[in-house]
This record gives sequence, structure tokens and C-alpha cells, in this order.
Amino acid sequence: MASEFMTTPYYKVNILTGTKAAKVVSEPTEAASIIDKATNPLYVFGAEVIDSPVGDRLLIDYALEIAKSRDIPICATAHVKKKMMELGVRPDSTYDIIEIVHFLKDKSWAGVRGKGFHDLVLFTGVRCDLAERGLSTLKHFAPHLKTFAICRRSHPNADFALPVIPKTEKWRVYLEGVISELGAV
Amino acid sequence: MSKGKMREEEIRRIIRADDEWEPVGPTPMPNLTDLRNWDFRLLDTYEPFYAPFCDLCCLCTYGKCDLTGDKKGACGIDIAAQQARWILICSLMGTAAHGAHGRHMIEHLIEKFGEDFKIDLGSQVNVEAPIIRTVMGLKPENLGDLRKAIEYVEREMIHLVSATHMGQEGSYRDFESKAFHAGMLDHVALEAADIAQIVGYGLPTSIADTALVDLGWGAIDVKKPTIVVVGHNAVTANAIVDYLRQHDLYDKVEVAGLCCTALDMTRYDSGAKVIGPLSRQRFFLKAGLADVVVTDEQCVVTDIPQMASEAGAAMIACSDKICYGLQEASAMAADDILKAVLEEQKQFLILDSEKAAEVIVRAALALAPTRQERKKIMTQEEAALVSAKCRGTCEACNRACPNLLPVNVAINQARQGDFAKLGSVFLRCIGCAKCEEACVNDIPIQKVMQAAAASDTYKIRAGRGPIHDVEIRKVGSPIVLGTIPGVVLFAGCSNFPGDIDDVAWLAEELARRKYIVTLSGCAAMAASMRKDEDGKTIYEKYIPEFDAGCIVNVGSCVSNAHVVGAAIKIANIFATLPNRANFELMADYILNRVGACGVVWGPYSQKALSIGTGAVRWGIPVVLGPHGSKYRRLFMSKKEASDWNVIDGRTKQVVNTEEPTPEHMMLVTETKERALVTIIKQCFRRNDTPPGRAIKLNSYISAYKQVIGGLPDDLQNFVRTEKEIPIVYKREVIAYLKEVGWKPKTVLSLPTLIGTYETKVPIEATIK
Ligand code: SF4
Ligand code: SF4
Ligand code: SF4
Repeated sequence: MASEFMTTPYYKVNILTGTKAAKVVSEPTEAASIIDKATNPLYVFGAEVIDSPVGDRLLIDYALEIAKSRDIPICATAHVKKKMMELGVRPDSTYDIIEIVHFLKDKSWAGVRGKGFHDLVLFTGVRCDLAERGLSTLKHFAPHLKTFAICRRSHPNADFALPVIPKTEKWRVYLEGVISELGAV
Repeated sequence: MSKGKMREEEIRRIIRADDEWEPVGPTPMPNLTDLRNWDFRLLDTYEPFYAPFCDLCCLCTYGKCDLTGDKKGACGIDIAAQQARWILICSLMGTAAHGAHGRHMIEHLIEKFGEDFKIDLGSQVNVEAPIIRTVMGLKPENLGDLRKAIEYVEREMIHLVSATHMGQEGSYRDFESKAFHAGMLDHVALEAADIAQIVGYGLPTSIADTALVDLGWGAIDVKKPTIVVVGHNAVTANAIVDYLRQHDLYDKVEVAGLCCTALDMTRYDSGAKVIGPLSRQRFFLKAGLADVVVTDEQCVVTDIPQMASEAGAAMIACSDKICYGLQEASAMAADDILKAVLEEQKQFLILDSEKAAEVIVRAALALAPTRQERKKIMTQEEAALVSAKCRGTCEACNRACPNLLPVNVAINQARQGDFAKLGSVFLRCIGCAKCEEACVNDIPIQKVMQAAAASDTYKIRAGRGPIHDVEIRKVGSPIVLGTIPGVVLFAGCSNFPGDIDDVAWLAEELARRKYIVTLSGCAAMAASMRKDEDGKTIYEKYIPEFDAGCIVNVGSCVSNAHVVGAAIKIANIFATLPNRANFELMADYILNRVGACGVVWGPYSQKALSIGTGAVRWGIPVVLGPHGSKYRRLFMSKKEASDWNVIDGRTKQVVNTEEPTPEHMMLVTETKERALVTIIKQCFRRNDTPPGRAIKLNSYISAYKQVIGGLPDDLQNFVRTEKEIPIVYKREVIAYLKEVGWKPKTVLSLPTLIGTYETKVPIEATIK
């Protein structure tokens, strides 16, 4: 399992000014195993899941498969709910990105399905500069949970982040790898 | 430190306490701690939310200190207090910028007209300065009184700046209270500055349908000598207009502006033109269309001297805030300055506005004939040629872009002669030139954009200044009852996350739902940059009166004061509550009864931060675009789980309303769609009558269905009685409420926070 300390995210605006950086999860197997170990995970979908093509599908199709594999509850931020409903999936929460982060800070919050605090929160498709800020909030103020930014632009403020994956084709391979590993774990 | 007797007497003297226009309320000219209990009451429900931008502190030589998680600095400060400290520092920058602007404007006008020069805002405006009246307890009568307002701001600021020093304030809540203080002082400064320029320059004040003026770089006839003013303080710009008029040159020279100076200039003379908001500064200046570039103050990109000289244009700086290392030339003869400008391409600082105006106009007249060749924007052929080396693969440009734009694809396609993508990147571009700096092949990306940028022109209504007392009397009741669903102010800069026309879209969605929509500054400009199929902008389609379904441009950044002022006037003129030195009473009224919401979709400058922070202290929630998260702090409730207790003014009993209204006081939304439903929700107030709430819920549900889909899943929080369910959605809403186990809630007609915390304001004061 390859992992290293993060250096530079894709966007310069997200460069870390600090000492605690994400662990880079280079291999889909490792990503799947992090997800698999969580006892009460949550998946936050950002607006970009509905308009980012990956191969001949949309990012949301992959994210939904990951969520489905472990019955992970979904928080549909921004206007993602509309697309999810078209796809016949009802989100567990429609809090906007900052609202869900605000609730996640609170260990005593019941979580989106009332099962207590989420120990792992996955993020995909949140606008990169905003996601990085929300991850920073959780890094400092939510020691009870781990964050995993499943984003090919990479996020130093997360606990776990992907490396920068410039090529869409490699991104597709990574996502499919995670999905197939989750099927296999 | 509590106020001593002498200070109290001094305050009474400053505000002429014996003038009996209204009794003096509990907090004349409040100091750092006078409104702290009110602030804490707000913070109890709306907790500060921090998103650190930097985990370290390097403000003193004990550091750098790592503040990650629960680590503390050598001075003992933790990460939350450090964020709040930054917020205070940045708010103070904003307040200082507006305060210094006001100070300069007022002193300039006092020099000209004397300090006894009367404040007269025309037949329609009797409550001339609702903010100054409320905060200070002073009814300003002349320019000298406005100077007192700025002096008050200055006095408080020294204490606030002091609190940011190492080893001073240590609590994030107190830092926030101090930031609120800075924000409130900012509003005092805004109001003083705008009133001064309205009376000193005769800007519009008692008319609503001000002139429609041209906006867009295509509106400038660059064949004429072209002067471009950049910044936010129109003293020199107005002097240029005066000089042109006096010398009968006005139709021979183009005077155009970028940012708020442009807006204020068009209030002074509707023949002046607006090129556009801040995001267009570099684009336009690099195009070389200006013969003379004039800078005044605030939000002026700092490499203008270099851009002007590269374009072969003259450049004159006019503010002591921005001197660029240039020689100050006020004492030189105009002929000598002009000679150096024309023969040596020398740039100058000229603080004497009249002398500056003469030099600027004469330089433009002399330079224009020689610069015609340079006033050409890049053609598509040229653009494709200079982009030849791009293959779109290195993506250095994208990685540098703070608006996360796909510059690589756009340039790579432009190279091949397809400019569509670059045109769409241009509409989202905030003009920072970071892509160009990063490009490994030195492609002049900002210039290449010239070939893709549409040169459309638009109509914007000139800023109208204060809202009229008679308008307040008309809309006061429907706003407080909730039947006009809300008053929304779009303010701030144009670094929008999406297209330049995001604000126009939001404003129109609200205006057609009968909201009162007001705009200012760069947001007001951007709102004009979208036309319907008949070629009309929202300023041409919607009424300019402050009434349901209007689109009102109040003016420049300093004119934001008039929208806060309108909310105060609703309490003061419509509800006849005394506002003199009565901050808490006014803010409590606004928070509970005036459905107002501020939107800063492109929050760029520290001024935008101080305006927004001040709004929250007044009880006006603020919705921000994603860039707003970089200011590190928001104010959010935990929805139904927070403290929603109020006092019922009639029975004086504490009542748990169980309704989160307004739900948050400052939050970021990611997309314009989410912003729309959030703005609508932030206009809900506890005081809404059932018919009023029904109208607001109707807007909420219709917008939610349109942009997000289905019914909102928090309706149970906002429907208090069955009567409030909009008829068109009745069946599905009732079914939904049944499913989630909804129970009716209390509807109060006199909800107030006064009495739920320690305050000098008696509960009786909330009832007239
Ligand atoms: S101000 Fe405090 S936290 Fe900042 S560097 Fe100095 S000691 Fe460290
Ligand atoms: S100039 Fe425009 S495209 Fe280039 S980095 Fe800045 S915002 Fe992005
Ligand atoms: S940095 Fe320059 S060469 Fe590279 S993709 Fe961007 S525009 Fe093309």
C-alpha cells in the first residue's frame, strides 16, 4: 500500500499553510479499505458530481456506486438532489456543504440517520476551494472523525486524500478500482 | 473600562443631547463593550463557524506558532480565537478604508463649502442619517456633524486595533463582538461619506428613476481622448467632469470608470460611462484603450503604473493611500507636469484634485491623436498566433487560477481558432492574471481574452442614494407583516464563482417573486450585464421605486448605508420606535420583524467583510458565495436544535418559538441555485403574519422545486399553522407534514430578544 505525505494540491489556492497534512491514498485498494473500516460513514456529494463527465458516465454514477456498496448515507449539497431524484435515489440529507460541516463538528449530533456521529466522512465534487475550507474546519474542530476527499485535485486538509490525478482516464480507473475493491472486500 | 462622567458629558455635547428631536436612548456613541451583551445573545444562537485559512500564526517574534487542532500559541491563543482575531483585523481594514474615504471626502467639502454647509437630502428624505442617529444619537445637520461621525469611528478604531496586538483579547466571542463593533462603525462611516458627497456634489437623492447610463467597454468611443478613473473616491473624477464642462470639452472627451468611482461619477453626471466592475480592471487597462489612467483609492490593482506604461498611457495617482512611489506634483505648474508626462512618460501623484483634473484632461487631449494605433484590441488571428505554443497539457494556468477555470482548454482551442470556450472563461474570469504569470510559454492570456470578449453594452440605472420616507411608509407594513416577502441587498465585488451574470439571475428570480431587490457597487454593475431576448437589462425591466418587485441601484459601496438605513427607518418611521442612541432596539426590531437579507456573492475586499459583519450586528443575515469561506468565519445556528426563545412583547413571557428564523446569520452557499433558496429562507421572520408567511413559503417552495427539486425537507420548521401552507401546494405539503409528525407552533405578533439577555433596554420599549 503506497502512501506518502502530501506535497502540492492541484490548485495553488489550496496549498497548505500548516503542519498537519493529509495522508495520500494512491491505491484504490487502500481507499476501499479505509471506507470498509468505517462504522458509521457519511458521503457528501458536491455540485460538481452532476456535471463532471468521467469516461462516458458522470461522476455521480461512481459516487453512488461507492455509497451503495456499503449503504453509506448521502448528503446532497447545493442542487445535487435534483439529479439524484432523476436517478431515482433519495438523499439522506440535503444540508448545504457548510451546514453539514457545521453539524459534523458536533460529536453529540445524531448524524443523518440518527445513529450517532459519523466516524468517516467522504467528500466528492465539492468546489475545490470551498471543500478545502470545510476540510480545514473538520481537521481543527472535529477530532472525533476522519475525512476522506475522493477528489482528483487533492486536498491537504483532509485526513486522507487522493494524489493529483490530471488525466480523466486515470481518474476513471481509480474510481472503478475503488468500486471493484469495495465489491471484493 | 466603563465610561466616566466626563466622557458621558462630552458625548452629550457632541450629540447635542439637549436637542429634543427624540429622547436620548441607552447607548449614545457606544464603546467597545456597550453592545457586548447583544452580540453575545446573537452568538448564543448563531455560533461562529471557523474554517482556518492558515494553521499558523506569524504575527509576532514568539512565533511562528502552530495552532493546529488544540495546540496553542506561545501567547496562549488558540485556533478559534486566532481566526476571530483575523476577522477583526480584516474588518478593521474595511472600516478604515471607508472611514478614511469619508474623512477625505468630508474635509475636501468642508474646505470648499465650510463646516456649516447644511445637509439637505430633498423633500423626500427627512430621516437623513438613520445609522448615525441610531448609533451615535446625533442628528447631523451639516458637514461639521458628519466629521464628528468620522471622529467617533476613529476614536473607537484605535481601541479595536489595540485588541489585535499579541497578548490582548483571548476569547473568540469577544473578538467577534469587537468585529461587530468594527462592522457597525463601518456603516457609520459609509453613511457619513455618502451623505457628504450627495450634498456636496448634488447627487440624486429624492428621485427614484435616475438616468439609465451606459456600461461596458464597448460603450466607450475610444477614438476620442479617453480618461479612465479607477477606484472608489470620486473627488478627482468629479473635478475632471467639472474641468471638461468649464472648458466646453465634455462631448469631445470620454470619461469612464472602473469600480465605484465610476458609479459615483455617473451619479454626478449621467454622461460618464461605467466600464465595469473590479474584475475588468486588468482586462481593460491591458487593452490600452485609455489615454490617461487615473487612480484614486481602494480595490485598485497595484500594478497599474506598470500596465499604463506598457500601454503607452499616462498615469496620475490622486490619493494619499496609493502613491506608488511617485513624485507629488501639486506644487508644480500644470504646464511643467504636462511636459514631463508627455515628453518623459513620467507618472505623478497629484493630491490637489483640481490641478490633477487639468493635467489629466490636457494629457488625454494631447496623447489621444498619437495613440490611435495602440487602441486596438487583439484580433482572433493575432490571439491564435501568440497562443501557438499551447497544447493544453501542462495546466500550469489552471492550477494558478483562483476561480478554478479551465484556462488550458480555452487557450488551446483559441490557438486553433475556436474562441467559444475562452469567451465563457472570460465571463467567469476575475481578472487576476495569475494564469498568465504561471504560463510556461509566457502566453499573454489576459490579452488573448480580448479576442474572445464580447463588446456588448448594457444599461444600468445611476445610483439613487437614500430610500425615501414616503416609500418606507408604503412598504413598512407589508414588509413587517411579511406580505412583501423580503428586502434583499446585493453588495460586494465581482469575483463570482460562476458567470458574471449570476447576480442578475438571482436578482431577477427575486424581483419577479416580488422581493424588494437593491444593489450596490460592483454587484450593481454585474447585475446589468445580462439582457433578455428584447435586449433589456433588469434595470430597464423592473421598477426603480423601493417597492415589491423593484430593482434599485443605491449607488457605490458607501451607498450600502441606505439599505441598512431603510431597515432602521421601517422601525423608526413606520413603527415609530425611537432610534436615537437605541442600537439594540433597532437591531432587535430588524432581526425579528424586517425580512432583510444581504448577499455578497463575490466577497473580495476587506470592505465587503466589514459591511457584512456590520449587517449581522444589525440583525440582517448575510449569504456569501464560495469565495466568502476564505474569510474563515460564518455565523450559523444548529437549526431546530438551537435556542429560539424570545419574549412575547404582549405578555412579557419567554416563548420557545421552535422556529429557526432567520436560520443563519452568515453562511456560504456553493451554487447560485442554492443561494436562491437560501436567500428566500433568510427573509423569514418570527413576526410574519400567517398570510405573510404563506407568501414567503410560496416563494420558498416554488424556488426549491425549480432549482433543487421536490419539496424542501425542512418545511416542518417554518410552517407554524395550517393557514400558512400555500394553497397551490396544500395537498403535498400536508401529506409531507403528516409524514414527519409536524405539530403547530406559536405565532407571535411582538417577538423580541430584549429581555432574554441583560440589557438596559426595557421590554416596554419594543412596543409602541
Ligand atoms: S501572536 Fe501569539 S500565536 Fe501569534 S506568533 Fe505571537 S505568540 Fe505565536
Ligand atoms: S485571470 Fe482569470 S482565468 Fe486567469 S487565473 Fe485569474 S481568474 Fe483565472
Ligand atoms: S500554462 Fe500556458 S501553455 Fe500551459 S496549458 Fe496553460 S496556457 Fe497552455
